[in-house]
Amino acid sequence: MDIVVCVKQVPHPDHFSQITLDPVTKAIRREGVPLIMNPVDRNAVEAALQLRERFPGKVTVLTMGPPQAREALEEALAMGADEAVLLCDRAFAGADAYATALTVAAAIKKFCPFSLVLCGVETVDSGTKMVGPMMAEFLDVPYATNVKALKLTNEETCLAETDLDNASMKVELRLPALITVNKAINEPRIPDVMGIMQVANKTLHIYGAKDLGLPAEKLGLAGSPTRVASVWEFKKDRRAEILQGSPKHVSKDAVAKLREWGGL
Amino acid sequence: MDYGFSKEQEMLKKAARQFAETKVAPKALEIDEKGAFPFELVQQMGQMGLIGLVNSKEYGGSGMGHLSRMIVIEEMARIYPSLGFFFQAGNLLMYALENFGNEEQKKRYIPDLCKGKKISAFAVTEQSGGSDPSAMTTMATRNETGYVINGRKSYITNAGVADVLGFLSKSDGGFSTFFVEKGTPGFEVTRREPRPGFRSIPINELAFTGCHLPLGNLIGQEGRGMAAALPTISAIGRTGAAGVALGATQGAYDGALKFCRERVLYGKPIFDLQAVQFMLVDMNNDIEAARWLCYRPAVLLDQGKSAKDIGVDIARAKFMAVDVALRTCLKAQQAMGAYGQSPEYRVEMYLRDMLELLTAGGTQEIMKVVIGRSLTT
Repeated sequence: MDIVVCVKQVPHPDHFSQITLDPVTKAIRREGVPLIMNPVDRNAVEAALQLRERFPGKVTVLTMGPPQAREALEEALAMGADEAVLLCDRAFAGADAYATALTVAAAIKKFCPFSLVLCGVETVDSGTKMVGPMMAEFLDVPYATNVKALKLTNEETCLAETDLDNASMKVELRLPALITVNKAINEPRIPDVMGIMQVANKTLHIYGAKDLGLPAEKLGLAGSPTRVASVWEFKKDRRAEILQGSPKHVSKDAVAKLREWGGL
Repeated sequence: MDYGFSKEQEMLKKAARQFAETKVAPKALEIDEKGAFPFELVQQMGQMGLIGLVNSKEYGGSGMGHLSRMIVIEEMARIYPSLGFFFQAGNLLMYALENFGNEEQKKRYIPDLCKGKKISAFAVTEQSGGSDPSAMTTMATRNETGYVINGRKSYITNAGVADVLGFLSKSDGGFSTFFVEKGTPGFEVTRREPRPGFRSIPINELAFTGCHLPLGNLIGQEGRGMAAALPTISAIGRTGAAGVALGATQGAYDGALKFCRERVLYGKPIFDLQAVQFMLVDMNNDIEAARWLCYRPAVLLDQGKSAKDIGVDIARAKFMAVDVALRTCLKAQQAMGAYGQSPEYRVEMYLRDMLELLTAGGTQEIMKVVIGRSLTT
């Protein structure tokens, strides 16, 4: 059974304070910020590797990003993925969730035959949770999101347990399908030395816009319907005021203060 | 900063850090307090291939080399110096067997040592010290079937948990290097030394009382023991100690920096106070300098230089890394005030551990002797 895992390289959460926003393009400036594979994407890779143990096939890991995004792919290869695909072209730059999903889905259709596509449920740098479901639509396959447990009894159907706000839900999907996983699904392995040494012998394909055959107006910023109206840095403000009186009055005053300060 | 790591070494560093932060950090303080050897962590490191980095693939290692080993030791020691120190001692016999042992010895021991299934130690020091072999009293007397060993060894790292131990002994033809398995009649691991640092790594005395070892337990040639022991101590022991010091220094600095950014005094983080900031700058400068000095001998060994040829580089790395580690730990404590003494902030652990490195692999003064000799030639 062939599995495609979509991953993204994101700024290291420990260094988010170094991220700035471009006031003109309203894009995130990542220069100088250490980059890692999106944490929950590692769970998606792990899920694929565990499935491969029971259902032999190829695990292909795929990302769209600048040249350095290959580091995220190499980490997945070191974990045990069989091959990798990097979608890298200036034409892809500035893509929103829609254009990203369209581009990645086109690449999967063209280059990566699959029974299952796995993604992390969301990224730590944008957190829209939309790319996975949108890709499923473009690929025309059923999907389940925020999956905490995944079971395949055969190569035709899978049983996914998804986390809802206050409950969980079990759904059965016919394969091929797309699943976005959360961190509860497994504990990702740490690449071992032999895995690291094998990376150099594994194939990493690089494709650009021309390889996908999509028109330029569908790609990158041009193909992105999302327009960011404004961005601003969230400033934390600490204030303290001691309220006195009976609990009844103090609680009323506290609510009024919080409203006045914009906290409610 | 680009230290010239290969892509594999960059990935190895990430993986080692991930292991240290996710598997070691949550247990380190508890293990240290109990003084229990971290068998589980050592086995996990073995499964990941982190122990056999300087051993060849043929014998179960990866052959990634000395710089890779330095990277891993640094990452382990950054979180828990005792685990880094395990490498300092655990790799000694592995290196001696691979470079001076025979085929049977290599195949029999190195694979399990690489995997963490077995643990080794290497014994040179005696009551008279470790730097003057002529004062050594342990004696190997040849008979028809092998050697009879009598004598004692002191301050032997890993001894209490070692399955197999290498040791240097006087013999009829000079010095010889042997190994002995745990449980061999006439061989006993005795008193565990009470130590302030590396509390989870047992450091013991060894006693040989008419211990008979077969000829197959000789590493290299009889009377040529120094040729096996000295490069091993230098290339593995001293570089290992340097790596442990480097990692602990980084750990102490990271902890102090985080603390000083968060601790508010007079309405602002104490990091903004120049007196405190200068302490952190001093630490930062020291670490950067020590790191280059530590990586240099590792790179030279990987380039094929012999431990003898670069003995001065190795001695300088060990001396400077330990010197920097001690003053960094003290500065970190000073910057953190009373919190620096609190176990949960770990700096006091780093300081205790670094005191042990003043003597491990040779005292700081012996390092100066090695460097001093090079100035007169």
